[in-house]
Amino acid sequence: MDELDLLKKDWQKGPVKEESLLSSSEIYPMMHKKSSSIVKTLFYISVAELIFWILVNSIPYFSSAEYRADLEAMYGNNGILLGVTIFTYIVIITFIYLLYTSYKSISVTDNAKKLMESILRTRKIVRYYVIYNLVMAFLSMVFGLYYTIYENPEVSAQFAEFTDKQLMAALAVMVLGTLMFVFVFWIFYRIIYGILLRRLNRNYKELKKLEV
Amino acid sequence: MNKELEHNFVELLEKHQNIVHKVCRLYTNNQDAHNDLFQEITIQLWKAYPKFRGDAKFSTWMYRVGLNTAITLYRKSKRTIDTQGFESVSFKIRSEEYDDTEEQQLKLLYQAVHQLNDIEKALVFLYLEDKNYSEISETLGISEVNARVKMNRVKKKLKTILNP
Repeated sequence: MDELDLLKKDWQKGPVKEESLLSSSEIYPMMHKKSSSIVKTLFYISVAELIFWILVNSIPYFSSAEYRADLEAMYGNNGILLGVTIFTYIVIITFIYLLYTSYKSISVTDNAKKLMESILRTRKIVRYYVIYNLVMAFLSMVFGLYYTIYENPEVSAQFAEFTDKQLMAALAVMVLGTLMFVFVFWIFYRIIYGILLRRLNRNYKELKKLEV
Repeated sequence: MNKELEHNFVELLEKHQNIVHKVCRLYTNNQDAHNDLFQEITIQLWKAYPKFRGDAKFSTWMYRVGLNTAITLYRKSKRTIDTQGFESVSFKIRSEEYDDTEEQQLKLLYQAVHQLNDIEKALVFLYLEDKNYSEISETLGISEVNARVKMNRVKKKLKTILNP
């Protein structure tokens, strides 16, 4: 007899102990407990990310008049700043909309593969949002540095005194600093999502492997 | 209306809870983890229940939600540290028709199944529950042919685990 058939025979008899069966009064409170599913965690993380980046982008602008004046001077008065701001908000609203529809499409009653795909798609949207923000952060750093070096009289005077070597070193420090900044964020996300979705990714791969 | 829905749900779950217990049995190693997963499946079932349409059997629907929770949604909570062996918790020793060799073999088999990965366990679970390949393929989202191929591989793997 096949091993599994032997197991099946035993299994069919019901492997659940009588005393582990729950009464309805035990089931009621369970239904209303908080879920600890990865979808819920993913949802909290993505909301936190949205808020984090919105704050990062707006707090300096609203809290410091000096920073605002600098920004306005940097962009000039030709409406570029307004354009960039509108663009940023469109991007944020688009991401919120995409995340919302993506979460709505996650259904525990789909088949296993489809469920995993919906979760991974949601995670991808969050990832694009993060990449977008990192790229924007990188660009504004480069743009900000360029502006400071060439438009700020004090700094440009200092740079004019630099020898070629010193200039190279200063640039290298800036580039490295920017790269470090992006790298730290990247590691941070790898860790968060790596831990959260490790099992899901492994199981998804296993299902995909069957199709090859 | 909500109370009525709740009442119907609890009644159905109480009646079919064996399915959830069996899922928990395959995917957890101790009583704490078992209870934890049971609770998460209950939450997911309840959340999905308003969309449950009577045209599917409640039990069939439970297989899907239960397995999806175990394979995909469930995050092991911190307090479910493996302290007790699986067999010491749920393995039943039947006194009637007690057969030492068969009992021993079953024990090894359950241990071997526990060494399979999540997807393999799902296949074994549905197989033990006497589901046909069409149902297995629908639940997991793979083709019927692939379900058969995978099942054969799982059987071979179990043999290797049992006879290294």
